[in-house]
Amino acid sequence: MLENFLAGTGALFGDPFTIAIFVFGVVGGMLFGAIPGVSMLTLAAILLPFTADLEPAQGVMLFAVIYCTGTYGGAITAILFNIPGAPENAPTAFDGYPMTRKGQSGKAVGAAVLCSAIGGVASALVMMAATEPLATWAIRNIGPPEIFALVFFGLAVASSVGGRTIWKGWMSVLLGLLIATIGQDPVGGINRYNFGFTDLAAGIAFVPAILGFFAVSEIFVQAEKKATGQFDAPKVGMSFPTVIELWMHKFAVLRSILVGFFCGILPGIGATLAAFMGYGEAVRWSKNKEEFGKGKLEGVISSETANNAATGAAMIPLLALGLPGGALTAMMVAVFQMHDLEPGPLVFYNSPDLIWIVFAAMFYANLSILFIGLIETKTILYLLKIPFQFLAPLILLLATIGAYISRGLVLDVMVMFAAGILGFLLRRTGYSIPGIVLGLILGKIGEQNFAQGMQMVHYDLGTYFSRPICSILIVAGTLTLAAGLYRAFASSSNTA
Amino acid sequence: MGQLGKSHLVEAGIWSLIVAIFFGYTFEFNQPIEIYKFGATGWPRVIILLLLVVTLGNLYHHFKNGSAIQKGRVGIAETDEAPTDYSNPATLAKIMAILFTPFLFAWLLKPVGMYSGAPFFIAAVIWLFGERRWRWIVGITLLIYAILLGLFVVTLNAPLPQGNVSPFYDVSGFILKMNTQLQQLW
Repeated sequence: MLENFLAGTGALFGDPFTIAIFVFGVVGGMLFGAIPGVSMLTLAAILLPFTADLEPAQGVMLFAVIYCTGTYGGAITAILFNIPGAPENAPTAFDGYPMTRKGQSGKAVGAAVLCSAIGGVASALVMMAATEPLATWAIRNIGPPEIFALVFFGLAVASSVGGRTIWKGWMSVLLGLLIATIGQDPVGGINRYNFGFTDLAAGIAFVPAILGFFAVSEIFVQAEKKATGQFDAPKVGMSFPTVIELWMHKFAVLRSILVGFFCGILPGIGATLAAFMGYGEAVRWSKNKEEFGKGKLEGVISSETANNAATGAAMIPLLALGLPGGALTAMMVAVFQMHDLEPGPLVFYNSPDLIWIVFAAMFYANLSILFIGLIETKTILYLLKIPFQFLAPLILLLATIGAYISRGLVLDVMVMFAAGILGFLLRRTGYSIPGIVLGLILGKIGEQNFAQGMQMVHYDLGTYFSRPICSILIVAGTLTLAAGLYRAFASSSNTA
Repeated sequence: MGQLGKSHLVEAGIWSLIVAIFFGYTFEFNQPIEIYKFGATGWPRVIILLLLVVTLGNLYHHFKNGSAIQKGRVGIAETDEAPTDYSNPATLAKIMAILFTPFLFAWLLKPVGMYSGAPFFIAAVIWLFGERRWRWIVGITLLIYAILLGLFVVTLNAPLPQGNVSPFYDVSGFILKMNTQLQQLW
């Protein structure tokens, strides 16, 4: 492994053009992740056609680097403005933004930098050491029934955070799932809920929906505060977390690495569910649960470690099985195909150089998060000093471009602003925006895998539950829902 | 009526309406799929049923506790919880203007295009956010517009809506022609 890694490092840093692409990917991913309104997906969508002119290894490496650094970059806007750069950064905002309100933005961003790097590096190391055995294990043990079970468990966990009551948490997730049913059904391709708009046959694209629910709704919330004279500019805090503070959360980091890696390795699941589950597990194991959501460092640490730990793991099903774990890894498949390559088991034998350049680049990209992140953090914190009336139009304009670029449809811009208004109203009434977005993202994956799973087990629940991973995850999810229900009724009887 | 208020009933009514509309619409695509027992409607109908159940649960919570936050909930942004006074019609008008100006901009994107519409949109948002110093409005509008052109047009060659009505289409054409000439200089 070490020999291959060194060979990959040599190939990566031996050619000035490849170095330039690597640096571009690192800086571009961080920048697009950190600019409110656009994300790494926007950058990837714009760059996709240009990768045809690159060497296959350079093209795939560029996207892998953007994936690592963009996942971190989105944490910055989540912490500073309550606008997650990507859905995987949504749980980071739960505690990151309250920390900013308390003048601890430096501490939150510093922890995000460090934990993103730790999660990413750990994941890259495991990926290098065990891609082939893990892929073999995954192909033998993980199928549609297990993926559906994990989606169920993830949604059960997600509904327990965010939302004023457990009912509103569930309603948020179910609304997301309902929106995800718009478009063609994943089994028969039958059009559902297009309401007469032909463009809706392709479904609601999740990039505009995410931008609307997160970025635009936050602008509207702040606008409301401005209009009613309640606007209070967030405070700039430059103090970084101390070594002792970080050491105190070593178990949270370790737990989130495991959670992130497990979620990342499963096709179609990716970093978003990893971040939610990392955060959910941190709440579950904490002795001071009530402090979460009010500016607890552990919240930021858990979510940011988990989402970056998923990035390396997400490459395993992609490279070893040819199955993308999310939108960005799906674009990587397109990069492979542009160069007449197919990701899958054969790529390890036919193009080992490509694989090890990508592995080495991901390792160094995660290290770069630490160094560049720490250097840029103090500069980025000054974004908070820009008056919001000047920042708002920039964010709205960038969001408009981000929504339009992905499919070139004005309808997507309309969907984004409609989601912004809906998000604004739902937040005012105590619903969970991250819950809606997670439902939206996992809805199609859940339905598709449920359908395939049921066909596999011939609609026999006994066979379904005889699969150990399925039964564990379904039982864990059901217990999570039952605990939520119990707390809801206990809370009602206490108050009544 | 317990602690149920008018807003709670309206909220429950809206959710029930969503449930009714989405359930009613399932009959539009209620076709069997040969290879799949539950068809195209199975999954949405289960979601709709669950949504109805939790809507009733939510109503029960409101009946017992009003709008109180359930004990032990995490991940609720403080900014979402602050009460807002809408008694002043001017405030309400301002909020409505902020909510619908982006929608108007999106609606005008097809005929007017991004290149001609963006400066007016930027200036309008700055104004709606309370800035009244016209020099700042113009200066920041130009700065943001320059960032838009520099990053997405010159650097990334991103395809943005050009509009389909004269003279807006001509403005877009002029900017794109200038960009092509600039690219040729390199």
